[in-house]
Amino acid sequence: MSTNEKNSKTILEYISEWSRKHSLFVMAYGTGCGAIEIPSTMTSRYDAERFGIRGAATPRQADVLLITGYLATKTLKRVIRVYEQMQNPKYVIAFGSCTINGGMYYDSYNTINSLDRYIPVDVYINGCMPRPEAVISGFVKLQEEIAAGRCHKGEKYIENLEWYRANQKKIIKNWRMPDYNW
Amino acid sequence: MEDLGIKILGAILTTIMAFAVGMTYGGITRKLTARVQNRRGPTIWQNFIDLLKLQSKKSNIAHGFMGHMAPAWIIIAAITTLMFIPVLNGNLWFPNLTFHGDLIFLLYIMVFGSLGMALGAGQTGNPNSAIGVSRGLSQMVGFEIPFVLALVGLMVQYQTTSIKDLMEVQQQTGIWIMFSNPFSFLAAILASLGMFRYSPFDIVGAPAELASGPVSEFGGKYLGTMMSGGSIFAFIKLTLFVDLFMGGAGNGSDTGIWATLLGIVILLVKTFSLYMIPVFYGWVSPRYRTEQSIQYFYRWPLALGIISVIWAVVL
Amino acid sequence: MNSLFLILIILFGGAIVAYLANKLAPIVSSIVSFITITTAAVLFFTQVNTETIYQFTLGGIDLQWGIDYYTYIFAMIVFGLGVLASLYSIQYMQDKERLGYFNFNFVMAILGMTGIIFSQDFVSFFIFWEIMTWSSYLIVIYNGKEVRKIGIKYMIFSAIGAYAMLAAIVSIKGSFGTFIIADAINAGALSTNFYIPILLLIGFAVKAGTMPMHVWGPGAYSNSPMSFTTVFSGALSKMGILGMGIVLTALYHKAAINDMFGVMFIKQSLMWLGAITAAIATIYAVIQTDAKKLLAYSSIAQLGYITIGIATGTKLGIMAALFLAVIHGVFKGALFMVVGAVERQVGTTDMTKISGLIRKMPWTFLVALISIIALAGIPPLAGFVGKWMVYEALITETNSYFLVVVVFFASTAGFLYSYRFLFGLFLGQEEDDTAHVKEAPATMIIPMMILAVILVVIGAFPGLLIDPIANAMGVMGYTDVNFGLSTLSNVWGEQLNMQSIGMSIGIVFVVTFAFLSLKGMKGTKNVGTKDISTSGEIPYDHENMTYQLDFFKPFERALAPLYKRSMDKIWNQFGEGLEALFDFTRKFNTGNGQTYALYVVVFLVLMLLLKDTLFIN
Repeated sequence: MSTNEKNSKTILEYISEWSRKHSLFVMAYGTGCGAIEIPSTMTSRYDAERFGIRGAATPRQADVLLITGYLATKTLKRVIRVYEQMQNPKYVIAFGSCTINGGMYYDSYNTINSLDRYIPVDVYINGCMPRPEAVISGFVKLQEEIAAGRCHKGEKYIENLEWYRANQKKIIKNWRMPDYNW
Repeated sequence: MEDLGIKILGAILTTIMAFAVGMTYGGITRKLTARVQNRRGPTIWQNFIDLLKLQSKKSNIAHGFMGHMAPAWIIIAAITTLMFIPVLNGNLWFPNLTFHGDLIFLLYIMVFGSLGMALGAGQTGNPNSAIGVSRGLSQMVGFEIPFVLALVGLMVQYQTTSIKDLMEVQQQTGIWIMFSNPFSFLAAILASLGMFRYSPFDIVGAPAELASGPVSEFGGKYLGTMMSGGSIFAFIKLTLFVDLFMGGAGNGSDTGIWATLLGIVILLVKTFSLYMIPVFYGWVSPRYRTEQSIQYFYRWPLALGIISVIWAVVL
Repeated sequence: MNSLFLILIILFGGAIVAYLANKLAPIVSSIVSFITITTAAVLFFTQVNTETIYQFTLGGIDLQWGIDYYTYIFAMIVFGLGVLASLYSIQYMQDKERLGYFNFNFVMAILGMTGIIFSQDFVSFFIFWEIMTWSSYLIVIYNGKEVRKIGIKYMIFSAIGAYAMLAAIVSIKGSFGTFIIADAINAGALSTNFYIPILLLIGFAVKAGTMPMHVWGPGAYSNSPMSFTTVFSGALSKMGILGMGIVLTALYHKAAINDMFGVMFIKQSLMWLGAITAAIATIYAVIQTDAKKLLAYSSIAQLGYITIGIATGTKLGIMAALFLAVIHGVFKGALFMVVGAVERQVGTTDMTKISGLIRKMPWTFLVALISIIALAGIPPLAGFVGKWMVYEALITETNSYFLVVVVFFASTAGFLYSYRFLFGLFLGQEEDDTAHVKEAPATMIIPMMILAVILVVIGAFPGLLIDPIANAMGVMGYTDVNFGLSTLSNVWGEQLNMQSIGMSIGIVFVVTFAFLSLKGMKGTKNVGTKDISTSGEIPYDHENMTYQLDFFKPFERALAPLYKRSMDKIWNQFGEGLEALFDFTRKFNTGNGQTYALYVVVFLVLMLLLKDTLFIN
């Protein structure tokens, strides 16, 4: 590969990564109790739109999926379906301690303890619940991760699908989902 | 041959200009809306960044041939309509393929895009898309009638169906049609509120009510193409209004580079001021239901349209 | 033998042979009807020219048959649609019963229409008109369903029209002494007393579906088999237009100057009736759930446009009317064939039960798409040319500006039912109960494709069709019609170049398609319609998620006042009133001989008492 080719490839990729960084469509899906902090982040006081962050109505249009807090197994099945309907490249931001180690519900029969086993996560924001300033700093961290080229977890999900599926099927009892449709 | 080459080059330049201007207006609107709501808002170029991101998506989902072609219909309709509107009158680069007798043609070709997108949205199989399409078409019956009445008033008053002739009449008499047939202007502006699909007529693409209606199943490059098509359409409608009611832009047969730039600047100023009318009205309006929006157009806008035709016949 | 007579004999003989051939095998009957009509068509297009005149005397009345440029246009529609519909009908009617009866009436209907086209005198016109009416009536009741409501309604309205025509014809003979149409017009038959043209117009308005005579339309068009409805709505309704054209041009050109008020009254009322037909029929078409009824109402609406064009009497208006007459035959024929194909493959045409046939019947969908684009009047296909001419005629040549708005309302509401038709049958979710459907057989697809190709070609080169129409208008008295192969122009000197429009659309289509398909081609994936974003849920297979019921409910609610009054109800109330009156007068027939004797005595007494005033010596 000559120097010229390497440069041009990088320029195109640079523009793509830059545009992905500055335009994030967030899936309008409040999965848990942390979703209460999202309206304040999006509206006038803490204004997430100045970073290019917008709400998107359907997973087909969205880039970022926010897992806002605890995940019941019932919600986990829908979250997996929504995640798989999104288009590459896609990012997941996990809010709160429930996604890291189970948080307040660590010994519940109905919630999951560690989100990373079921779908790949890019950025964790800790807190219970994280304030809007913390949410915005999480988005800024996501932007840095995108710029550094470390956010290709959508493709990693496809590569390690058997492992993820095994984990998902262990915890979701009535598995009735179509195959992944990428 | 050289003439044809210049015409094709002019067509490409017009398309690029329409695209750039339309997207920038969208960005400016977002910024202004944010300021009105006491926050900062994104940069003016945010729509371009969104488009770049959408086009650089690595995987795209399509639902069949019509769903694949749906954004293409909008672009086809947009570019074809653009070809037949004089952007800068008499200029060497931007007169396009305009011909006489084309107001009626324009009314029909503008529907071509929405119908194509509706067919593509129908094939995706999402019931939200179908509901959105039925609402959009019903609303269209609403706003087209006062708009046609306004245009008929113009056609009768000046005995022509060509946009070029109307622009020339305005340049010769020196009075904008906005002032010589004000009822026609008012009816057309009220109809344009429905055309631009800002509040209160934005029930078609309402994100939370309808999962964004017809575009709900489109993502990636399809959504990007649709957004650019929508921006070109916004520019087209604005230019049409400016040509009909505000005297157009560009004067006579100047072909120098400074005259062209001056013409473009005047066009931008006029279209932007006209664009602010639906945007301003949208900032303070809640959303109408579909039957309310149809009935809205059959009250004052229809009355103003009828008065404009009577005015044109009497004068 | 004279070729006109030969054509009619072939058709009549073919009808009888088709009826008898049913005894051999039903499909032979259909093939015989196809061969008959094709032979007649070939004979017509090769042998007949405008000099062919056939005169003979029958029972003391001079009959004259011939062709001129004006009736040639309608002959094109009749024979073209007849050939294609009979080819289509071979496999469409394959498993149905009583095919001999059907094919006999099919060919007799074509015979009636051909006879009308050939007639140059009123008596043969009326005879063939009646042949056409009863043969189409017999096909309308072919199914045996709802004979009273639909069939009798059709027959009554046709009879009203036919008797009005008969009264006018007899009156012409009485006042002007001739049955030959051209002589009667020159003698002023259609322009001196106004009741003659009005009676004739009533007769033609019934067939052309103008309000208030249109109520038979929806039932009759949707109840007959689709291969006949192609001819029924495509060609038979145009016979009314043919008559209207003759009457109205005679009226406008030959009326005396001081009768102008009467002429203006007829013209304005006919134009407004046409516009109201178009508007009201369109909004009824929007709320239909059965594809056949939707197309039936849409036929009536399109005929409203043609009526407006004919009634304006100006150059562009008549050109628009004749152009739309031909093009309407083409695209409505294609659409009824599409519905017939769907009905044959799926078993029903109820749009609330079908969805997602696009992948299973792609050729049918293509024909439907092209025909619907032509129906909606969208450039660059042929329907736009006709609509453009109608608008230009209304704006530039007559001063009926509010009519333009009503027509435009009808046209915009037309987009609604156009989309509904395509969405209801072909788009939407692909359900399990339509999983077994296959594409229609080739003999049904070929006629449809021919019609679709005609639409595309005439869209780019409208001059091909306007050339015969200009000749026709020369016969009617309009000269110097301006047109080119691809350009049209109006009175204010403005032009429309269809070829450049078509080419620019084509080029942009190719470029955009290439861009969309090639960019990111690796990552694009086609998925089925079950994989939609249903808020994260996975729908069961039996859940139907297509939005079919009450599709345009907001539109219906917004225009609720327009739906309240229905001409059907008004006619029904009129009929009930007549029944009450007849109930009353029936009481005179008591069946008692003594009462009748009393009547005779009362009558004689009255005669004696009033003899001085009644009989003046």
